[in-house]
Amino acid sequence: MNLVWLQGLLARRPLRVWGSAAGVALTVAFLALLLTFVSAGRANMTRRAVQAVPVDWQVLLGPGTTLQTAEGAIRTATPVKTLLRVGYADVAGFTASTGGTVQTTGAGKVLGVPNGYRAQFPAEIRPLIGAADGGALLSQQTSANLHAGIGDTVHILRYGAPPATVRVAGIVDLPQADSLFQAVGAPKGLAPQAPPDNVLLLPRATWDTLFAPQRAARPDTVREQLHVRLNRVLPTDPGQAFALITRLANNVEARLSGSAVVGNNLAAKLDGAREDALYAQALFLFLGLPGGILAAALTLTVAGASNAQRQQEAALLRVRGASEQAVVRLGAAEALVVGGTGTAFGLALAALIAPQLTGGLLRPVDALLPALVGLGLAFAAVLLPTLRAVRGASVMAQRRAVGRAGTPLWQRLYLDVGLLALAGLVFWRSAASGYQLVLAPEGVAKASLQLEAFVAPLALWLGGTLLALRLLGLLVAQKRLTRVLRPLSGTLSGVVAASLGRQRPLLLRGAALVALATAFAVSTSIFNATYNDQVRVDAVLTNGADVTVTGNANAPAGEHLAALRALPGVADAQPLIHRFAYVGADLQDIFGIDARHFTDVSTLSNTYFKDMTAAQALARLQSRPDALFVSQETVNDYQLSLGDPLRLRLLNARTHQYEVVPFTFVGVVREFPTAPKDSFLVANAGYLARMTGNGAAEVALLKVSGNPQAVVQAAQQTMVNLPGVQVTDLATVRSRIASGLTAVNLAGLAHIELAFAVLLLAASTGLVLALGLAERRRTFTVLNALGARPHQLGAFLNGEGLVVVGFGGLFGLVIGLGVAQTLIKLLQGVFDPPPEHMLLPWLYLLGLLVAGLISTALALTFARRASGQRVTEVLRAALG
Amino acid sequence: MLETRPFLRMGPGRAAPLAVPLVEARGVTREFQMAGQTVTALQSATLRIHPGDRIALLGPSGSGKSTLLYLLGGLDTPTSGTVTWPALGQGPDLRPGKVAFVFQAQSLLPPLTALENVALPLLLGGQSPDAAEQEAAAWLERLALHSLAHQLPEELSGGQAQRVAVARALVTHPRLILADEPTGQLDSATAQRLLDVLLASLGPDVALVMATHDLHAAHRMDTLWRMQDRQLISVTHGPEEGS
Repeated sequence: MNLVWLQGLLARRPLRVWGSAAGVALTVAFLALLLTFVSAGRANMTRRAVQAVPVDWQVLLGPGTTLQTAEGAIRTATPVKTLLRVGYADVAGFTASTGGTVQTTGAGKVLGVPNGYRAQFPAEIRPLIGAADGGALLSQQTSANLHAGIGDTVHILRYGAPPATVRVAGIVDLPQADSLFQAVGAPKGLAPQAPPDNVLLLPRATWDTLFAPQRAARPDTVREQLHVRLNRVLPTDPGQAFALITRLANNVEARLSGSAVVGNNLAAKLDGAREDALYAQALFLFLGLPGGILAAALTLTVAGASNAQRQQEAALLRVRGASEQAVVRLGAAEALVVGGTGTAFGLALAALIAPQLTGGLLRPVDALLPALVGLGLAFAAVLLPTLRAVRGASVMAQRRAVGRAGTPLWQRLYLDVGLLALAGLVFWRSAASGYQLVLAPEGVAKASLQLEAFVAPLALWLGGTLLALRLLGLLVAQKRLTRVLRPLSGTLSGVVAASLGRQRPLLLRGAALVALATAFAVSTSIFNATYNDQVRVDAVLTNGADVTVTGNANAPAGEHLAALRALPGVADAQPLIHRFAYVGADLQDIFGIDARHFTDVSTLSNTYFKDMTAAQALARLQSRPDALFVSQETVNDYQLSLGDPLRLRLLNARTHQYEVVPFTFVGVVREFPTAPKDSFLVANAGYLARMTGNGAAEVALLKVSGNPQAVVQAAQQTMVNLPGVQVTDLATVRSRIASGLTAVNLAGLAHIELAFAVLLLAASTGLVLALGLAERRRTFTVLNALGARPHQLGAFLNGEGLVVVGFGGLFGLVIGLGVAQTLIKLLQGVFDPPPEHMLLPWLYLLGLLVAGLISTALALTFARRASGQRVTEVLRAALG
Repeated sequence: MLETRPFLRMGPGRAAPLAVPLVEARGVTREFQMAGQTVTALQSATLRIHPGDRIALLGPSGSGKSTLLYLLGGLDTPTSGTVTWPALGQGPDLRPGKVAFVFQAQSLLPPLTALENVALPLLLGGQSPDAAEQEAAAWLERLALHSLAHQLPEELSGGQAQRVAVARALVTHPRLILADEPTGQLDSATAQRLLDVLLASLGPDVALVMATHDLHAAHRMDTLWRMQDRQLISVTHGPEEGS
């Protein structure tokens, strides 16, 4: 019987079965794509974290540990790809005699680097000039401090031994100095140690020879580290990878009985990545679940349109002797067909497009939840109405959408007000805790997501929609719409308003779905637009401009500004001075800019400055030549107040000595293009040049009007003879930024969300309106029979369109703006820096409007045509 | 051609025998396409209806009664043959105003009160809301329905709803009323009362064509038209002849 019934259903009611299955497929595909995105994002984060670590482990050996013991313990604990011994020696300083003057630096470090180190750990040492290996390599900063170049002699001021002399073979940059010189084994929570200002790299054999006396005299100043690259397949989830790597490091330390400490760079990097992974999960919950709920609601609405039919069928089957169980079995069989087909199609669709949209493959584990949801949804949409039908719930009661409606329970309970109050309360709590959504304490394996924070946008979404329904209900009731409808309906406005008022429950149901869909689409698109813009801001913050040419003291890019400005595709070019200055004993980066023209090529966000906008900051910089912006940390350390004089020591080009230059503290800078995360200074380029006798700008910032890649290539050609000069564009930097979720390309999520949002909005407006109108086809046919002209019929149809789509969409827009604002505030941690305001994607919003209007127009046209077609049949069927 | 005129009994106040016909149908056939097959709903009907006619259209279910009524009222168009309204004008001008329908049941618009339902044809005809409401209220009063003016259709009994439907048909002072089994879902007493109201409310020059299964109701008409197998097969004049 089941098979015959199903065959009959598929033959006679194809729309009912396939319509519901399509809804299930849409929901399943949406959820599967989102989960695939999250999985792919996590795997990507782990991969990036691993790639970004220059050295996985830096194992500091204690006094009693031999290299062989340590190496044996490490290799027993885990497979190792590379393991090299690096010597670290503290020295009192360096001196060099160049240009008739003698320069002496403060304390520094000398590293003993084994052969092949640069090949095995390429991120640690970047050669700038001269030899890359095999000789004495001076760090760029030390070279500048000593005015020492290739071939110059440098004296190493050793502890407990006379000075040693080496000849400089090359100048190098140490991009990962922070981790290279980290205090391995320092207690957790201690502020990270600043890398030394003066560094010299020696071949391991030379280092052994030079520092043997110092090791004997001052063993506390000479240490050994093992630099390790692990050879291990890590779990794709950063949290699990972090836990595994931490356990392995603990194992090594235990094997060495505490006589060696592991500087776990890989775990530290994964520690940050797992926080990002939790934010990805947050994004999934915030942005994905409403879409899933909406798709499910839409499926239930579509399936609900057949409830009356099901009721009739159940009644007929019962009359003809079918038992309750038999009817329920038939309903279950239909649900199985709908659920099975919809789920299979949804998963197939997701598997097909996941690689393009998410960059990952649909894994069985990610397909499980959507499949369960799909089957559950099918049973809810098909089997529950059948059960209700069998148990005798009156279809007329279900369809009692017209008449003198009472006040719904949620209105009497003020659920809308309650939800909004809850949203406000949770949001206030989140704000009070600085929007700390993800708790991943550094070094602690357990990380958590503040799930209760999700309540705020969800409650705002639902509460806002319910409040909108309450307001819309008040507006629609009591013919209040008469005046609004007059331009559309003329003398029929009163009767149309009365008709709309008495169909309130039905119309409000449609309007609710439209409002939810609009709010979802609007909030998602605004969040995505804001996010994407912030990724750009983040990239500009790191790179400085569309294309940045970074030179150095020996090869300043600013000297070639005219040539760079003349390159095809370059709209403008500005110099940026980047040097170092001593604030007390602290060496900080100092940037010199032309405040009048800096924003011609770069972007300054208001959040970069404390208590003032970017424009005010630039104006303040222009107000006096010696104006100086400093970091908050410096303000705290030196107890500075606005207007305080500040005396920095800067390298003078004429004297080759660090000399005092007076400045005036005018404000606090938090972030600045190309600046490091820690303390730095911003001053006027002209003043800096004048006071140091050096007008050369190390960096050139280019604004590009053409293809950035072409500009990069042309700039590289221009700079080909300048050693150590780097040319970077935003795209390169964007792919390299390893902080926050912005490191992960959210384009896939955006595509899924935005495409589904349009689809859901179009379906909600058109389909819901069409289903509602189809349910009342008889009404429109009777109107036709009474002699209503097309425009009069239109008055009734347009009235419904106005309430369902017009008001539903309008309320949805307002709710969407509110939810977007809440999302952006709550997910501040995703953004670096946080956005100043949300960005409205006008084109997409216009697309949404057009999609909504087209589907509404199609629904109205369908209804108008349907009411005029085969009047006799409709009247006979409906009235007979 | 089925013709009522030669046999028209002239009662007090009834229309003159030589009046221009309200409707004239010649060789009217209506076919539908269903599941790829052509189904004939009405075949070669030829007839004429004059002012003041009281015609009962008798026939079993599916004989084509409703189709004929919808064609006569301009709600549908024939597949072949012609329907004209010599005394009424063109098809699009017929409703609301000159031709009105009374359907079997549930033809009132559910979201509108009885008063609003009755006023609706006047509003569709372009009357102001106030005037339409006054006129509708007057008709409800006349049919003793004033107490139900603000009730919704779902709050009315079947008989009350049909009386409201009659009021809605009469409110525009039509020249031709086409009633499609108006008593079909009513018990006999209620059906009798409804017919009393309908007939009593008709003006002398208003024609009524009523499709019905009910012989008692049919015999209260002047003329009986019989339909079988989608054809108009016979005419009987007056209840005496038909009984």
